[in-house]
Amino acid sequence: MTVATTLPPIERGRAGLREETLSEWTKLRSVRSTWIALAVVVVAGIGLSALVTNIEAGRWAGLGVVDRAQFDPVRFSQTGEFISQFVVGVLGALIVTSEYATGSIRTTLATIPRRTTVLAAKGIVIAAVIFVVAELTAFASFFVSQAVLTAHGGKALPSGSSIVAQLKSPTIPVASITSPGAARAVFLCGVYLVLLTIIALGIGFILRHTAGAISLYVGLLLVLPLIIQILPSSISNSIERYLPSNLGLAMIVVTTRKTDFAGVLMSPWAAAGTLALYAAVIVVIGGWVLVRRDA
Amino acid sequence: MHVIEAARLSKSYGRTRAVDGLSFEVRAGVVTGFLGPNGSGKSTTMRMIMGLDRPNAGDVTLDGRRYHDLRWPLREVGALLEAKAVHPGRSARNHLLSLAQTNTIPKERVDEVLELVGLTAVAGRKVGKFSLGMSQRLGIASALLGDPGVLLFDEPINGLDPEGILWVRNLLKSLAGEGRTIFVSSHLMSEMSLTATDLVVIGRGKLIADTTVDDFIRSNTVATVLVRSPEAGRLADVLSSIGASVTSGEGGSLLVTKVDSARIGEAAHAAGIALHELSPQQASLEEVFMELTSDSVDFHGHARVGVAS
Ligand SMILES: Nc1ncnc2c1ncn2[C@@H]1O[C@H](COP(=O)(O)OP(=O)(O)OP(=O)(O)O)[C@@H](O)[C@H]1O
Ligand SMILES: [Mg+2]
Repeated sequence: MTVATTLPPIERGRAGLREETLSEWTKLRSVRSTWIALAVVVVAGIGLSALVTNIEAGRWAGLGVVDRAQFDPVRFSQTGEFISQFVVGVLGALIVTSEYATGSIRTTLATIPRRTTVLAAKGIVIAAVIFVVAELTAFASFFVSQAVLTAHGGKALPSGSSIVAQLKSPTIPVASITSPGAARAVFLCGVYLVLLTIIALGIGFILRHTAGAISLYVGLLLVLPLIIQILPSSISNSIERYLPSNLGLAMIVVTTRKTDFAGVLMSPWAAAGTLALYAAVIVVIGGWVLVRRDA
Repeated sequence: MHVIEAARLSKSYGRTRAVDGLSFEVRAGVVTGFLGPNGSGKSTTMRMIMGLDRPNAGDVTLDGRRYHDLRWPLREVGALLEAKAVHPGRSARNHLLSLAQTNTIPKERVDEVLELVGLTAVAGRKVGKFSLGMSQRLGIASALLGDPGVLLFDEPINGLDPEGILWVRNLLKSLAGEGRTIFVSSHLMSEMSLTATDLVVIGRGKLIADTTVDDFIRSNTVATVLVRSPEAGRLADVLSSIGASVTSGEGGSLLVTKVDSARIGEAAHAAGIALHELSPQQASLEEVFMELTSDSVDFHGHARVGVAS
């Protein structure tokens, strides 16, 4: 019995990031749960956003001045993100923890002995996939939601209109992608999901258990804000802006001017930078655990 | 040439000493059995060879290199560690493809190893639906993927039917025949006696023997002859006088060691004692192995019984 016939030898290089990235892509695309998760991101992103926008449009006529000033057609178009953030988190954690659950992480680390390469490849693949899907969804969702507003009789305000023009507007304000902050908000919505995915991936490498990783991830997004709220407002006011969920809000809010978000939220890009910093720290800790602990 | 060299390997998990100062060598061209009872540290040793668990002390190298320094590890070392360590939702072909890509192994090789282990027909099926035997075959396919010179198999016959066991046995031998280094663990001495040429035996993480199967059997089994005679008492005296060790067996029989059945027969004949039975007994390998690896015995002592008078 001859076992080998067609394997051409290779002399140069070593099994590295390029090879492992290819492999991680094969692994990601070859399980059905990936496609289900991505479908949920798209459907929830567009569908839920359109639904919420539809409801908000129906309320416009009865809104007072303050509420009209806060009416944010861009943010409404991204409400599906609330669901998507959990879906991408589960996906990010699972591509690590499912390998620990089955023991196949040992196969992976045996094929690529440099463990940080494995982490990097997983990060690159999942970030790229989520980036593409989340950005397409965010922009599609934006246009669908503005179409919903238009169907309710909404009209775009002339460009350069102030917030005063918005609250005096007789018709529902519709955002254009060229409205100030709109493209940025929609783009950062996708970025928010990418950064959260990476955070979940890092948590997966730190905890190695699916249930634990997802619990911690959900805790950061849902429970931590509740805990902060219990604190005296002198403390909570200064912490709140650093919460991942509030960083996400800061990244997609357009009409922060003199509204109830003012002062509470960071500027959009500062928020994106802060969340990226969180992701980096968590990934570094995950990499440290990966390298130091037995597989 | 010795391909795998372990030098004073030690590994503890908390207070458990899984591997304790283990040194051994595995050479190319033969099947080397890695034998030890459950929990003796076989899998732990394999994980250390693969660079997955870090030894607390000592070192293990493949052709003088650490696993971590192999540039294309899958092309040098193939391993079956845990058969079920595959994502259940992935097909066998995609699983192998993802492995192949890590070491730039062409796609055709995936189909080749699938064919080799007889999984071609189910290559597109989800691995979660595989039986244990099919998973073992997939594990063997992934080990062979990179056409490596060194192969590690951790209990590869687990869950296989007799036909599958025979297939693995022949596969291991033919891989060794091609000059590869084959290191295969088992807790069944009988299996190793059929498959392996060399033997590394451990108990409680410590080395008990690093030898060949033949030597192991020769030096550890004691030829015993079972004798029945109506004059058992007199026969025992006669046999003792020619240097035999005699103990009493079941139903008034005698168990005789140190002399062979021919000499027993001759001595009985010379003394005019009738024999009803004269049958050589071989202590089973499994018994020898169990005795060697149990804690209560002197590891180097023979299975000797006290002399009856
Ligand atoms: N990751 C781990 N964490 C804690 N203890 C471990 C770990 N791996 C192994 N052990 C312990 O180390 C000892 C050796 O285990 P190992 O799995 O290496 O034995 P084995 O010879 O492969 O046994 P078996 O024949 O049952 O497969 C056992 O006591 C086991 O409980
Ligand atoms: Mg084991």
